[in-house]
Amino acid sequence: MSSTTGTPAGTAAPGAAAKARFSGAQQRLLAFASLIVLVVGFSLASPNFLQTSNILAILQATSVNGVLAVAATLVIITGGIDLSVGTLMTFCAVIAGVVLTNWGMPLPVGILAALAAGAASGVCSGTIIAKLKVPPFIATLGMMLILKGLSLVISGTRPIYFNATPGYTDIAQGSLVGTLIPSVPLPNGVLILFLVALVAHIILRKTILGRFTFALGSNEEAVRLSGVNVDRWKIAVYTLAGGICGVAGLLISSRLNSAQPALGQGYELDAIAAVVIGGTSLSGGRGTIVGTLIGALIISVLTNGLRILSVAQEWQTVVTGSIIILAVYTDMLRRRKV
Amino acid sequence: MITRRNVLAALAAGTLLAATGGIALAQESGQKMYIPVISKGFQHQFWQAVKSGADKAAAEFGVEITFEGPDTESQVDRQIDMLAAALAKQPTAIGFAALDSQAAIPLLQQAKDANIPVIAFDSGVDSDIPVTTAATDNVAAAALAADKMAELIGGKGQIALVVHDQTSRTGVDRRDGFTNRITEKYPEIEIVSTQYGGGDQLQSTEITKSILQANPDLKGIFGANEGSAIGVVNGARELGRQIVIIGYDSGAQQKQAIKDGVMAGAITQNPVGIGYETVKAAVQAAKGESVPKTIDTGFFWYDKSNMDSPEIAAVLYD
Amino acid sequence: MSAPLLQMDGIDKSFPGVRALHQARFDLRAGEVHALMGENGAGKSTLMKILSGIYQPDAGEIRLDNKPVQVPSPRAAQDLGIAIIHQELNLMPDLSAAENIFIGREPRKRLSFFTDDAKLNADAAAIFETMHLKLDPRTPVGTLSIAKQQMVEIAKALSFRSRVLVMDEPTAALNDAEIADLFAIIARLKAEGVGIVYISHKMDELKRIADRVTVMRDGEYVATVPMAETPVERIIAMMVGRALSDERPPAPEENGREPLLEVRALNRGAAIRDVSFAVRPGEILGFAGLMGAGRTEVARAIFGADPLDSGAILVRGKEIAIRRPQDAVRAGIGYLSEDRKHFGLATGMDVRDNVAMASLSRFTTPGGFLREGAMSETAKRYIAQLAIKTPSDRQEARLLSGGNQQKVVIAKWLLRDCEVLIFDEPTRGIDVGAKAEIYKLLNALAAEGRAIIVISSELPEVLRLSHRIAVMCEGRLTGVLPAGASQDEIMRLATQRGETSGDTRPSAAMGGRR
Repeated sequence: MSSTTGTPAGTAAPGAAAKARFSGAQQRLLAFASLIVLVVGFSLASPNFLQTSNILAILQATSVNGVLAVAATLVIITGGIDLSVGTLMTFCAVIAGVVLTNWGMPLPVGILAALAAGAASGVCSGTIIAKLKVPPFIATLGMMLILKGLSLVISGTRPIYFNATPGYTDIAQGSLVGTLIPSVPLPNGVLILFLVALVAHIILRKTILGRFTFALGSNEEAVRLSGVNVDRWKIAVYTLAGGICGVAGLLISSRLNSAQPALGQGYELDAIAAVVIGGTSLSGGRGTIVGTLIGALIISVLTNGLRILSVAQEWQTVVTGSIIILAVYTDMLRRRKV
Repeated sequence: MITRRNVLAALAAGTLLAATGGIALAQESGQKMYIPVISKGFQHQFWQAVKSGADKAAAEFGVEITFEGPDTESQVDRQIDMLAAALAKQPTAIGFAALDSQAAIPLLQQAKDANIPVIAFDSGVDSDIPVTTAATDNVAAAALAADKMAELIGGKGQIALVVHDQTSRTGVDRRDGFTNRITEKYPEIEIVSTQYGGGDQLQSTEITKSILQANPDLKGIFGANEGSAIGVVNGARELGRQIVIIGYDSGAQQKQAIKDGVMAGAITQNPVGIGYETVKAAVQAAKGESVPKTIDTGFFWYDKSNMDSPEIAAVLYD
Repeated sequence: MSAPLLQMDGIDKSFPGVRALHQARFDLRAGEVHALMGENGAGKSTLMKILSGIYQPDAGEIRLDNKPVQVPSPRAAQDLGIAIIHQELNLMPDLSAAENIFIGREPRKRLSFFTDDAKLNADAAAIFETMHLKLDPRTPVGTLSIAKQQMVEIAKALSFRSRVLVMDEPTAALNDAEIADLFAIIARLKAEGVGIVYISHKMDELKRIADRVTVMRDGEYVATVPMAETPVERIIAMMVGRALSDERPPAPEENGREPLLEVRALNRGAAIRDVSFAVRPGEILGFAGLMGAGRTEVARAIFGADPLDSGAILVRGKEIAIRRPQDAVRAGIGYLSEDRKHFGLATGMDVRDNVAMASLSRFTTPGGFLREGAMSETAKRYIAQLAIKTPSDRQEARLLSGGNQQKVVIAKWLLRDCEVLIFDEPTRGIDVGAKAEIYKLLNALAAEGRAIIVISSELPEVLRLSHRIAVMCEGRLTGVLPAGASQDEIMRLATQRGETSGDTRPSAAMGGRR
């Protein structure tokens, strides 16, 4: 039995493993530290930054992109990509608008319809990818355009307003926390983001679906040859992601009190940027919801802070791009070590 | 390695903040009035012309302004975030061109509660919160374009529209202003097609070509904004078709097309005036002076014959 | 004997937490084949990476032609005439052979941006000539066989006028004919005075070509001995640091029980042609044959990984429809692929998850939550039972050695209660000591009443393990031999092209025991 004790794998393993885990935490810490540095820096640079109202505005601005990024994280961990999250969000918002405003159904029905629309679209994407073996990039690119078109068709190319549904704007703009603790008027949209993130985190870490999400990204063929119904789990992940996009659709339309059918394209890139800044690997098998949340916050803090500092818009874009590259570069440095 | 990375990150963050802080400090020195202007766009020449008007007024009245707008006119929520950030800066007054009025109402209410006057510009805000609106009457302007089109094609025949957007106010107003005038006044003119190219030149070019292919007898096309109009010009040129093209707004390419006779003429708004009047009204409102409920910033028809006259040349932009 | 061409002395190399090499040494004469042996992780690769400039030593000296040299980079190694041919070939499949050989050094037309393709191809052809290799330099490398690709790598090494050529497991993917070609080229290179370092686990090969052998263990130099005079057992003892017991193949189980797995007239294009056989409980059925004979294809087809044109698969006498791997697993069939990293393990996940991979649904609550405690307990049980060397069940699979990775895959199928286990090259890339352990494990699994199929390209392995040996050639099952068959008999069946007689096959396949 002494045969393998001398191998580097045998001796190096404990140290290497400890290090791998350590620097995994390190990366999240680093992202979190960057966030803190940004917040502190902006606070010092402008007295208007660290105001309750502005912090709430930042969180509010994070809510939609954060929820989309959570959806994108799930798919990206499987080694796939979902380009349709932005237009799917819009599609779900339009569905809610049709159900509530055009058909006059009660609020819960509208909410369920939006979530169901998201999940159904996820089933479509997942099936196209798993059963028809179309690469995720292409399949979701197609879905992105299909959903964009359907949104315009269904809405008749006009925004659908929710004036007939009292309470709709409260989904994102009301404050449950504020009614309990008046000094903290945290918008519901932010609360929902944290809830969605918490649920996604638990699913990823504690459930069989989560374990297969990582396994698919780690080595899909090995999972298939383990006799696992890979297609079913893959579709399940895209369905879950679709449902989460439905939440984002409710949030954005509640915030705008309208379903804007032309909105949504381009939002997938912001979501993917948040995922990547959060340390999730685009090649799959690795990633965290906490990281994604921090990534989304970094983007919002940066955008808001630069605006507060009255940095010209041209330069805001340049800085944001640089941050994305920097974030991924530090992640690469970390991985090169292991 | 770990320390190297931390140093790297800290360095990057530090450089970033130093740079932005420097800009900020430079701008925040002095206790000038501060007026953020949130527009509907940023990259287009039209919005840059509005910005130049706003800058001109800022210099004249000794106030400080910032000018921002989302990348595309569909990004309603991005504009709302910009408005929220502007409010956080505790401005003296705000200039705002709403992409969607309803979406902005909570924030506008917040501005009203904080006694920050709001000046609407470009298109109205469906609310009584703004103290005034500085805008072009797009419906009337497009109707003028329709009259010119009818005149130039001899009062009968087929025409088409290439519009930038089917959801935004300006897109809808210009389309309806044009279409309604044609149906009401010119029964012998038939609108065979109305299509949307997102204001994108290339997309509008392709749309134009397909319209021309499908309608060999087409006599004219109205391009409802700068990008659409240039797309129409390009499309007709690529197919070698002689038709009456009427554009909207200006810009170097459109001006050149009119000079070359490819485009019959165009409606121009007064973007520089919009920007100027917005900031001017903001200053007045902040000082407690009264301002009119609406400020019509005007529109003009221009073609080869009058585009060099001082009155027109002043409102055209490159 | 000539003076040493290359000497490495007192080489130390540490990585964080591991001492990979300690006072390692090695010397190479011009015109010799010097085998470098040792278990995985003994330090062979590290030593060769130092020689080829990939790693820098912490201490020690490298002398070439008795002059001390520095090898700060792979480029410097090339300039010194040291070339290494890695086990995984580093070729660009879409480029031609000539383009691969001269990548980065393409001849240019004078003062021109364009490459001189005529000269490029002529130069490559000249190298092929010296190797007596018939190959068009313009052939895209991706269309060549693995063996030919390896020849291209060798040609590339020669194009640097290399005097030291390191070959890491060069025959791993070659069939016998191709190995013969390779050895012919090695002989020619020897004659031209090139020194060759040959890393391999295959004793029989080394006996054929190596002049001397240096054995390493735990990062240290053990001994250098002449190959011809040294018995294999002594070399193995030097490698593992003890003598391995002389494990005889177990006596064939004579039992009349019904077959656990029976396969009837499988067909899949040209890859599988009318293959029928049966495996009984407690039996190990070996599959021998040359590369591409269709053994892996049969395994994958039984497992549902590839579709079948026709044929029936029976488990415990009942025909079952297998369309996907999950059907096979449900029927109790497990498949251990030869390529663990691609098909066996989720290497980025930990041992616990990999063990549970095929049975995860057993560890879930009705709400879909995983019972980590139960998973951990189970994983730990298998870690103990199979003696998997890992610091904990949370260790990532990629950090385990090959043998331990293989055990993790075995644990996965044991947990799934698979009664039929198909092992495809179970000891590929596993060192000698761990091999013996895997053999023992296979015997134990059979003794528990499972039916085991072992596919192996190493004849001694098949002979040692199997109760019966099925031999394939060109998609056909050419015969089934009893344990104790001679290598000659197997080779005769393995090369019996297209003349399978319908009368011998069924009896050989179904009757089995003779």
